[in-house]
Amino acid sequence: MSKAADTVLSRDPGKLGPVSLYVHVPFCVLKCAYCDFHSQPVCDVTPEEPEYFAWAVGEAARHWAALGILDDVVSLYVGGGTPTTLGDGLGGILGNLRSIANVRPDAEVTVETNPDTSAPELAARLHDSGVTRFSVGVQSFDDDVLRLLGRCHDASAAEKAVHDLVATGARVALDLMCGVPGQSLASWRKTLERALATGAGHVSVYPLTVEEATPLARHVAAGHLPEPDLDVAAEMMECADDVLGQAGLERYEIASYAREGQRCVHNLGYWTGRPYIGLGPSASSMLPAAEFRMAAACESWADPSVVGVGRVIEHVPADAARVRFTRAADTVAFIRTAAGAPEDVAYLTADEALREDIVLGLRVAEGVTGEFAERAGVVEVLRRLERRGLVERADDRWRLTRRGWLLGNEVFVEVW
Amino acid sequence: MSTLLGPPCYTFADMSDPTHIRNFSIIAHIDHGKSTLADRVLELTHTVADRDMVEQVLDSMDIERERGITIKAQAVRVLYEADDGETYQLNLIDTPGHVDFTYEVSRSLQACEGVILVVDAAQGVEAQTVANAMMAMNADLEIIPLINKIDLPAAEPERVRHEIEEGLAIPADEAVLASGKTGEGVREALEAVIRRVPHPVGDPDAPLKALIFDSYFDTYRGVVALIRVIDGSVRKNMKVRMMATDVVTDVEEVGVRRPANLPVDELAVGEVGYLITGLKDPALVQVGDTVTLARHGATEPLPGYREVKPMVYTGLYPIDGDQYPDLRDALDKLKLNDPALVYDPESSHALGFGFRVGFLGLLHMEVIKERLEREFDLDLLATAPSVEYHVYKTNGEQVIVHSPQDMPEPGAIERVEEPYLKATVLVPPDYVGQVMELAEGRRSTFKDMQYLSVTTVEMHYETPLSELIMDFFDQLKSRTRGYASLDYEYIGYRPSNLVKLDILLAGKPVDALSFIVHREKAYARGKVLTEKLREIIPRQMFEVPIQAAIGGKILARETVRAKRKDVLAKCYGGDITRKRKLIEKQKKGKKRMKSVGAVDVPQEAFMAILKVDE
Repeated sequence: MSKAADTVLSRDPGKLGPVSLYVHVPFCVLKCAYCDFHSQPVCDVTPEEPEYFAWAVGEAARHWAALGILDDVVSLYVGGGTPTTLGDGLGGILGNLRSIANVRPDAEVTVETNPDTSAPELAARLHDSGVTRFSVGVQSFDDDVLRLLGRCHDASAAEKAVHDLVATGARVALDLMCGVPGQSLASWRKTLERALATGAGHVSVYPLTVEEATPLARHVAAGHLPEPDLDVAAEMMECADDVLGQAGLERYEIASYAREGQRCVHNLGYWTGRPYIGLGPSASSMLPAAEFRMAAACESWADPSVVGVGRVIEHVPADAARVRFTRAADTVAFIRTAAGAPEDVAYLTADEALREDIVLGLRVAEGVTGEFAERAGVVEVLRRLERRGLVERADDRWRLTRRGWLLGNEVFVEVW
Repeated sequence: MSTLLGPPCYTFADMSDPTHIRNFSIIAHIDHGKSTLADRVLELTHTVADRDMVEQVLDSMDIERERGITIKAQAVRVLYEADDGETYQLNLIDTPGHVDFTYEVSRSLQACEGVILVVDAAQGVEAQTVANAMMAMNADLEIIPLINKIDLPAAEPERVRHEIEEGLAIPADEAVLASGKTGEGVREALEAVIRRVPHPVGDPDAPLKALIFDSYFDTYRGVVALIRVIDGSVRKNMKVRMMATDVVTDVEEVGVRRPANLPVDELAVGEVGYLITGLKDPALVQVGDTVTLARHGATEPLPGYREVKPMVYTGLYPIDGDQYPDLRDALDKLKLNDPALVYDPESSHALGFGFRVGFLGLLHMEVIKERLEREFDLDLLATAPSVEYHVYKTNGEQVIVHSPQDMPEPGAIERVEEPYLKATVLVPPDYVGQVMELAEGRRSTFKDMQYLSVTTVEMHYETPLSELIMDFFDQLKSRTRGYASLDYEYIGYRPSNLVKLDILLAGKPVDALSFIVHREKAYARGKVLTEKLREIIPRQMFEVPIQAAIGGKILARETVRAKRKDVLAKCYGGDITRKRKLIEKQKKGKKRMKSVGAVDVPQEAFMAILKVDE
């Protein structure tokens, strides 16, 4: 289990260490009412586009591999969109990536899927080609809730799909949504129980958030739907903690529950400062500034004529220690310049990166070490938060209390 | 500024003969186009080269130009070659165009022999038209009516002419029809000034008597007084005395404004110009005061001087407590140009250190607050405006209360008196009902009303100033679809059944939210305010009761429920930057809130009491 204090800043300078690799597949069957991720329904794209996309993912990976950044990949995660809309093309992408990047033999390889796109045969083939984990967007086992969310499947289809995925022998994670208008606490409890019954070893619990420019936001604005009630969402999150905890799933992060040995290696990387490379439109990456500088010096980022829709990186601030950057949410542009420059770049100083690590580290059950908090200069703040009952200190680690899980922003605002 | 100088080689000697001088002012209701008209005069007389013409030269403060109002009076000398072939010295004295500045207007008018009364050809006669015209009549000035904006499609010059005659009893058959926009009629207006405004009359051999009708502060030169010479003359190096403040000083420079300062040897009978003495303290150079010779000077000052007194008070607090010294410096600087501004340090448990600031009126308050924020880069919080209450205690003591915080305990009060105004509202007959309804809700006593014309009714009320300073004017405008206009004058103190209403957050009174209110309105006000605060105050980690109380008696109660959830559950690769931005935003929002006890209170809460419409 990786410790929260395992931060990019505590590594030897110039030595990158393990990284995560993410692929964003911008296709799905149908956009859900609440979704604001970059993805297009497959019926709206040309038949060649997925093929071009698969090729471009390889090109982008080659760019990073050439810089030596993909020498030790500990996790590979294919998200979206719905990656399984690519069918067996997905296996091709994974195989290609293994040939380009140095993916550890025991790496966690996750593929996101939906109940309506994970045919048992495809799942089996993917498992055989090295996929170790499926993450299924079930959202609910209540048909009314599923309809409201604009999902393409019903509860029984979801149950069957999860069952089939578990049967492949891969690990299976479920996403569930609470705080949906009209969803009762009883319905939520039932969803949790049915989720447990599938045999999945990992559950993520998300309160519904109304994102701008989604059909859901329009329904709310028009008054057809009430805004999600935060108190109800809070109660449901507590309920999940109880029900899943009693069933032996440990809450290891604000939204994540897992049986022993089933924690998501990839996601833990996001919370513990492990660098990651995102391939595909709208995909985000994080690198120490030294590695980012190398990439910025490449022709594909520095020459305006080949940069594409991204921005030319003219210079990286001298005090930058960490860089987060995101490709444009534009599939065609990604295909055209697979190794092109990012659209959005955020530089963090060493101090900012430290604080970010604390904020992210506190999301995880183990929290952060006392020594690490001291180094980031937040001990005083944490003591204050302790008095407010939001964090606690045990075994020389600072962690969120049960109340702190729900009021995380109160903590993060103070620490940041 | 030197580019604003006109042709540089003029000498004024031949024009300084009083028969060739005309001193006049342009007066108007706000927005009737006074400043644009003044600009056209400057253009026509080539006082300002066309290329340097900025819209509304006389309104030099940004805020004045933006709001289209004149705050500080200006005085410009122009040379005009009239139809009779003679060149005249015209001194155009621009007056502030708002009720807050009535006293300044009256001083400016005292420097004139005549006025051009500007009336908008579409809007017609409005409340301040009446008020200004009355002031001009009282000062015995020649009034030249001018119907402006005749280029507007909605212009109805004949109706307006009728209104001027009927409503103001000013003959208007010779009214000048003009357009400040096109310049039409401007020359006719100047001809009318030459023909009808009497030239100044004074005794050149008498001891100097000059009226200070405005002043401003120059960083290098000190206080610059704008003066009108009544008798005698004033020259460089003379020793002069300010009669009201009784200070003696040397004259460093005299000159005229074209509109940039141009030194001259002497200002003689009837002339208008500036006077620099080297005095650095604006309090010593008071508007309305008389300048005379230090030795063998005049014995009697010019009539009409009075000290300006603030009418409206508010607490101004920096949102960031570290800005307190900056706020003090900024107020000190503004006071140099605005002796009417008064302020004393004040502290509040809720808001920290700030100032209790007195203003001439609401506009003055708004303008000052805006200038502090804009020119001095301060983030300020203003508490509910208050007036000066006279509190008579049961022990016979009398206290003056500018701030609810200073209000004695209810048991110790025998009675409270508050300032009353005579309010004049001009409105089309269709809206009389709406005005009555509003006035009634504001404790106003109806006095009388009369038709000025078929389209305009003049209504008179006696109104407590404290009611007027809430949002009376906004309400008046919105209820009459913008047609009503308002003017007011102070009439005196009267007893009222007033109480201090406290607002308690989490059981603790928040001084900055207290206000003084009529007992009969206390319940309704308290209820509306607690409801409003419940909406404004964000949910905290604990339950926050909001109460309205008089003394220990609770009138109304609302509760902000405790916050249970505030966390973003999803936080993966692409979410991290977004999340950080969100946290930064939340942090900024939190910083803009004031911590009152353990409760975070957004600034809007302190504004809420300004806009309570029960």
